[in-house]
This record gives sequence, C-alpha cells and structure tokens, in this order.
Amino acid sequence: MKNRKHKSDLVILFATLGLMALGLIVIYAIGPMRANVLNSTYGTDYDSNYFFLNQLRSVGLSLIAFFAAFKWISYRYVKKFAKPIMIIALAISALLWVLAISGSSLAKCELGECRWFNLGPVSFQPAEILKFALVVYLADFLTRKKEEGSIGKWKEFWLPLLIVCGLSLFLVVIAQGDLGTGVALIAIIFSTLLVVGVPTKQYLIMLALVLAVAIGAVATSSHRMQRVDAWLTTLSGGESTNSTYHIDNAMLAIGVGGFFGVGVGNSVQATGYLPESINDSVFAIMGETFGFIGLLLIILVFGALLTRTLKVAERTSEANERLFVTGVFAWTLAQVVVNIMAMTSLVPVTGITLPLLSYGGTSMIFIAFALGLVLQISCYTSREVNIKNENISSRRGIRGAHYSSRRRRS
Amino acid sequence: MRPLLAMSQNKTEFQRFKILKGIIFAALAIILVRLFFIQIIEHDDWVAKAEKQHTLLKTITARRGEIYMMNQGEPVVVVLNQTTYQIVIDPTITKKEDIEKALNTYAKDYATANLDEIYSQEGLRYAIVAKNIPHDIAEAIAKSDIPAIWLKKTNQRVYPEGELAANVLGFVNADGVGQYGIEGALNDVLSGKDGLLKTTADINKVALSIGNDNIKIPAEDGKNVILSIDRGFEQGVEEIASAALANSAATNVAILAMDPNNGEIMAMANLPSYNPGDYGKVKDASAYINYTTEVPYEPASVCKSFAFSAAINEGKMNADTIYTNRGYEIIDGQTINNAEKRASLNGTINMRTALYWSLNTGSIHALKLLGDNTIEITSAAREKLYDYYYNKFRLGRATGIELYESPGLVWEPHAEIYGLNAAYANMTFGQNLSLTMVQVASAFSAVVNGGTYYTPTIVKSPSLTTELTQEKILSDDTSAAMRDLLINNRSNKVLRGIDKSGYAIGGKTGTAQTIKDGAYTMDEYIGSYVGFVGAKGELPKIVIMVKMWGEGEHIEGNKDPMSLFDSLSNYAIDYFKIKPGV
Repeated sequence: MKNRKHKSDLVILFATLGLMALGLIVIYAIGPMRANVLNSTYGTDYDSNYFFLNQLRSVGLSLIAFFAAFKWISYRYVKKFAKPIMIIALAISALLWVLAISGSSLAKCELGECRWFNLGPVSFQPAEILKFALVVYLADFLTRKKEEGSIGKWKEFWLPLLIVCGLSLFLVVIAQGDLGTGVALIAIIFSTLLVVGVPTKQYLIMLALVLAVAIGAVATSSHRMQRVDAWLTTLSGGESTNSTYHIDNAMLAIGVGGFFGVGVGNSVQATGYLPESINDSVFAIMGETFGFIGLLLIILVFGALLTRTLKVAERTSEANERLFVTGVFAWTLAQVVVNIMAMTSLVPVTGITLPLLSYGGTSMIFIAFALGLVLQISCYTSREVNIKNENISSRRGIRGAHYSSRRRRS
Repeated sequence: MRPLLAMSQNKTEFQRFKILKGIIFAALAIILVRLFFIQIIEHDDWVAKAEKQHTLLKTITARRGEIYMMNQGEPVVVVLNQTTYQIVIDPTITKKEDIEKALNTYAKDYATANLDEIYSQEGLRYAIVAKNIPHDIAEAIAKSDIPAIWLKKTNQRVYPEGELAANVLGFVNADGVGQYGIEGALNDVLSGKDGLLKTTADINKVALSIGNDNIKIPAEDGKNVILSIDRGFEQGVEEIASAALANSAATNVAILAMDPNNGEIMAMANLPSYNPGDYGKVKDASAYINYTTEVPYEPASVCKSFAFSAAINEGKMNADTIYTNRGYEIIDGQTINNAEKRASLNGTINMRTALYWSLNTGSIHALKLLGDNTIEITSAAREKLYDYYYNKFRLGRATGIELYESPGLVWEPHAEIYGLNAAYANMTFGQNLSLTMVQVASAFSAVVNGGTYYTPTIVKSPSLTTELTQEKILSDDTSAAMRDLLINNRSNKVLRGIDKSGYAIGGKTGTAQTIKDGAYTMDEYIGSYVGFVGAKGELPKIVIMVKMWGEGEHIEGNKDPMSLFDSLSNYAIDYFKIKPGV
C-alpha cells in the first residue's frame, strides 16, 4: 500500500542543488584555464567561458530532469517501462560498439576508448543511460522474482540476471573500456541483490565470481595493469613516472590545499598540470581550492545525500521503489567513493566522474533524473522504519494520526 | 491497495541496510583520514613539490649595447643586434606534414634539422627545426595555425662592416659572451645585467598572476659604446694596408693611428682580418689577436726617439752634439754594431746624423750623456733612462686603453740580470725590451706634440677610464727639437716629392731581430715605422705607426713599413683635409 504523500526529503533536495552550484562555481573558476591550456597546446579555439557555459547548460538540463522526475514523471509510470528502457539502453550501447568497430565518425573516441556518440554539436554517453536502465530494470526484475518466490532459483532467477548483467558489463567494461562505470554497475547489482535478499551463500559465490572476473580483466589488460602499477608506486612513495603523473598531480593539488585551500581562482594545478582537471579530477582541484575544510564539507554533503537516500529506501513500503532507491544509492556511492579514492591514491585511477560536480552533460542529467525520482519517492515514506511495524496488521492508525497533526499537505 | 510486502518487514532486511550504511561510513571515514594525512600532515611536502613544479625561473636577457665608430664627427653603428627566431616543435603533437609544408613554404633557407630524424625519435617533445628566421617570416609561420609550435626569440650580433676593424671589435660567442676586441674587453659594459623573473607558471611555462612571491627584476640593458675610430679613415687605412701587404713578403700588418693631442685612436687595423659574424670559420685563433695592444715586441730603432728625447730634455745634448762613431761599441763584453756601416760615417759626427742613419752608437751615446759620462754607462744613466722610459713615456706597462693589452717589459736600472749595461744600451735602440705598438705610439705622440703624454683611448663614450689622461713630460723645446730631427729623417722624402711641401712629416724606422728559442736570430726581422703628420709650422695632427712581419721574412723598417707609412700619411692629409702651413 502506498503511504500518504508528505514533504520531500529536504536534505536530498538541497544537497543535490548545492553540489550542482558548487560544481558550477569551480568550473567557472578553472574553465578559462582549461580553455587556455587546450588552445595553446592543441591550437584549438575555445572561448574562455566555453566550459562554464557548457556546464551551465548541463546544470540547466539537469535541473529540468531533476524537477521533472521529482514533480511530473511518476515513478509508477517509469517502472512500467523497465524492460523497454533496458532493451533500448543495451541496444544503443551495442550500436556504439558496432560503430566504433566499423570506425564510424558517429562514435567519439578518446585515448582509444569509444564511449560517446558524436551527434554534431552534442555528444552523448550511453553508459549513463545503461546505469539508469539497470537500476530501473533490476528493481522491476527483483520485485517480480520476489513476488514469484523464485529468488535464488537458477533458471528463473540467476540465468536471466546473469544474461542482462553480463551483457551490460560486457558492453561497458570490454566494449567501451570503462571500468569505472563497470564498478558502478557491479555496485548497483550487488546492493540491490543484498536488499532483495538472495541466499547468503549464493550471494557470496556470485560476489567472489565477479571479483575473480574483474581481477582477471585487470590482469589481462596492459593499460589497466599499468594503472595498478602506478597506484602501487604512488602508495609506496616510489619514483614518479609517466604513468604516475596523473595521480601524482592529483595528490599534489590536494596536498597543496592544506587546511583552508588556496581559494577560488588560485588553483595552479588546473592550469594544465593536472589532467582531466574539470571532469574526473575536479575533486583534486576542489581540494586545492577549498582545502581540508572544504573537502570535509563536500564529503559531509555527499554523506548526508547518501544516508538520506538510504533512509528513503529503508522507509519506502513499495518493494520496487525500495530497490530503485537502493540502486540509485549504490550508483552514487560507487562513483563518489571510487572517484575520491582514486584521487587520493586509495585505489587505482579508473576514470569516473564525481556525481553532480564533474564537468559533463550526460552523467549529470541522468543522475539528477534518478535523484529526482528518489526525491519523489521520499514523499511517500513512512516516518518510522517499517520493521517496527512488523507485527501490526494495520499501520494506518498510527501513521495517519502522526502525520495528520504535523505534516499534512494538500 | 496491496498489503505491505513481507520482505520489507523482517529483521534481516534491517540488517542489510545496516551493511550499506556501514559501507558509507567506512568509505567516507577512510577518505577523511586519508585527506587529513595528505592535506594536514603532508601539506608542507606537497607545497615544496608544487613550488618546484610551478615555479618558472627565467632570466630576462639584457639588450647588448651596440658599437659605434665616428664618421666625419657623427657616430655610426658598426655592431648591432638583430632579433631572429627559432622554430621549436613538439613532435608528439605537431604533425610532420604540417611542419614540413610550413617550412617549405616560408622558411626553406632557415631549416636546420632533418625532420625524418626528429620524428624517428620516440618520446621526443622538443626539437628546433629552423634558426635565424627574421621577424616577418616568423610571424607568417605563427599564423599558419600548426599545433604545438613555438617561436623562440634569439638575439643575433650583426657586423654590417664585415671584416673592418674585426680585431678591434671582437665577436660574441654562442653563449652571448664577448670575445676579443671591444666585445671582449668591454663585455661587462656592453652586456648590461640580466634581470630575473621568478613566477608561478602554467604547464606551458606562461607566467600566471597567481602566487604571492613572484619576483621580477628588470634587466639593465648594456651601454652603447662609441669608438673614437673614424670609420671612413679606418676603411681607407685597411685598403691601403691590404694593397701594401699584397706587394710585400710580409704576411701580417698592424697599424695604429692616433691623435697625438688627446690620445684618441683614429684607426687600428690588423690584417689579415676575419668576419666577426662568422668567427667560427677562423681556423687559427691568432687571427683574432689585436697586435697593436696585445702582443709586445721589440720595436727597435723607433725607440731612439725616446732615448734622444730624454737626453735633450735633461739638457745633456742637442742635435749638434758630437761624438765619435767607431761603428760599434763593446759593452759588458758584447759587441754592438751599427746596422749602417758606411765608412764615411766613422769619426766625429753629430746626433742629427746619428739619428738620420739610425746609428746604435748614437743612441748609446745619448744614454751615456744621461749619466754625465762620455765613456761608459753609469747607474745614474740607467736610472735616468728608466725614469723616462717607464715613468714618463710609460713604456713596458699597460697604458690603460679600453682594450686587452699586455704590459711588455722594461728592465729596471738595478735588475739582477747579466749584462745590465748592455741591456740598457740595447734599450736605447729598442731591443732587449718588449713594448706594444700602442705604448710606442702614445710615447711618440708625447715626443712630438709638445711634450704631453696622453693616455691612449679608443672609447669616446661612455667614459670608462679614471686613470691619468695627460701629463707634461717633456719641455716644448725638447719636443720641437725632436720634431726637427724626425722631419730631418725624411728629408729625402721631401726631395723625392713623397712628402708634400707645406706639411711637417717626420718619422723613425725600426728593424728588429726577433728572439727565437731565447736567442736573437737573423732569420726574421720585424719592420716598424712610427711617424707624425701635420701642417708645416704647426703641431702634428696625427701619429701613425706601422708594423709588418712574416714568419721567416726579413722585413726592414725602412722598406715596406716606411713606404706604407708614406701612403698612409698622404692619405691622412687628404682624408682629414689637413691644410698646408707655411
């Protein structure tokens, strides 16, 4: 049964908006430096406001997606299309792969990895849709299997799950070479599996299997091994090499920031020393700019966003919604943790954006849309965790009385 | 409505959310500890590393001063700077076809590198592909929009006069340091002082306004140097000398012309010369030497003027003083012969005749007279001669001219050497001492200009010498008597029409044996001539000294050097439009 509608989770709302605003400020400060570096190194002709205006557009579109998901597009409607969304997402990822193999100019490749569609003035990253689609799909799939009581059964449960997840991971990790998104997908898969409650033994076997495959994938790829090597070198304080350059400079930026940071507009690492300074490495630039105190605040905001998202999942009475929110939670958590840990040399660099802060359109729009849906769902949570109502046949009396006195809204 | 799902209602699910919550807190806690470690504990280390990476230390090159000569009283530039450009590429970014095309279109003549070779080197990120490109061509290439191409400014020293006075000017080496000549001797004046830029810079080494300890010390540009040399005169002197050299057994000639009335050098030539803009092509570094100041030698009989001046100025003799010439003298057991051995000169002759025929016995007699003794050389005589040579004429010591110079050597009157009197006897006719041409010409100027010694100078501006500039060392009468004697030396030149009437031209030859392996040899003579030119009845306008020599050649002062002086004296009269006197 659906809980009565109440006020949305303000923490999620303001954390999302605050992070977007912060990202915009930082891009405003370092965008001109990025343009300058590209112009003088590659002879391009970027206007000094190019990156800021682009980010402004992305934030605008993300806000539209966020509020549309929050207010207008009912999740009940979205979840009906779980299968078609998943099929479309897989189809366009497969299309990109085919285009990349055939050398089409529609596939935009950087450093040998083809992750974008090139559609004239806009480019578009299908892996972002895939993450969203998988979250929606798994919520639907697992809810159905739970209702059917076929969780843990090989043919009805594991086989279709392995096909869909395996295909997704193949298209992202192998075809697009995007291990970062792969980590996010795995996080989504295993957190939803955890919440839906597959038998512990099967869960652990699958986890071990995926880890083994992941280690194998890293060990057999020379450029990934290089990154692991670079990470180990940096961790052990070894000599700088070409492959440790990125992580060395990320650490340098963060270290220079100290307690209070160098202040907005005073980042030197953003003037070309730190690769990917506006997207994947933006956390390091924030460390330089805002210092430990600033990063502490940013992490607390992410922490608040994540715990509140988890709380929404916990308190949602609908199984599908619960799994969806859990998926969004895992998606966000994976990106935040993997990105920041890479920048602080806790894990190897994988190339993953920091949600809501990094420069980039597709990733921000989709996560904003997903968070918008979470916010929508947050309007229908119960105040207490459902467990506490375990043995009460009807909670209506308790909850109704509770909310009617304080939080009713029309 | 459906009833609540059972799955959301059990304790295990609550536990599962706890796991997820635990993951958040664990991950974020690890990150915060890590950040604390990097940003607080290691902060200073990272700042030090950052400073190393971000700081751009750049010298701001001072502009090197230019060198001027005089031309009819106006300064005219003879050494200047030109900014040229080098093209630098990053082969990992710049496409080979692009740079190849650009070079072929604009700068074919300036390409310096083999592109195939550059592009075959893996990981090479910096390569110079063209040099010495003028500004307009560099600009055209800059506009061609090729990625990762830089134009690097370089300063080139340009010598538009080619070989003219090359040994006086010197050159600037690849490190920007002046070598030889004015470039070398006045390097500090010309080079100025480089400034320093210490700034935070972006990855392309472009200075940023970020940072608090950015330092900029501006460069102090070098001073322009104006030489007293007259360019037109120098050119004429070198042309005449070059022609004379072509007709002589001598392989080298050095010429120095100066204004006896203020010590300013008017011409200074060394042939054969070289092109300072192409100094690297010179095979033997001796070609860079300025023989007028850097190489002391035995100028021989030209020094008789100084011994005579000393005796006359001391009132010990005059032109009509007589002595007995036997054609030789034996001093300290050494026999000193006259070069001129004709029998008609033997017997009692006067000093005028002795100087005319350049008799060594005459100048030795003058030395004896300085000690009030007609028989032998006394220590008083040595002391007097030394006083004149070293203290008054400043022979055997650096003159203070603004060039590299050697001091040479004049024996002290009580030097502990074997045969000191013989050495002093030799010094009266310019042997057994070593002097530079500029010492001789400056002393000679004092002999003929009325008796005032002027420190020789080649730089009109900026003023550099703080040492003595003038000192009266001889009386007017002594100087006048010496002029008469020196003019008398050239009496046959007047008769032969070489010296034009209305002009007072006097001079003295010198033919020196050279020292090879520590002993005088008859294998090679260095010929010298020093003389003055002026209007009749007036003080001289110019003193010219010529030195010619060649390996193993017998160059006698009264032959090639004297005739070169004849040409130069007439050229000086024409060039400076010296009006005849009466």
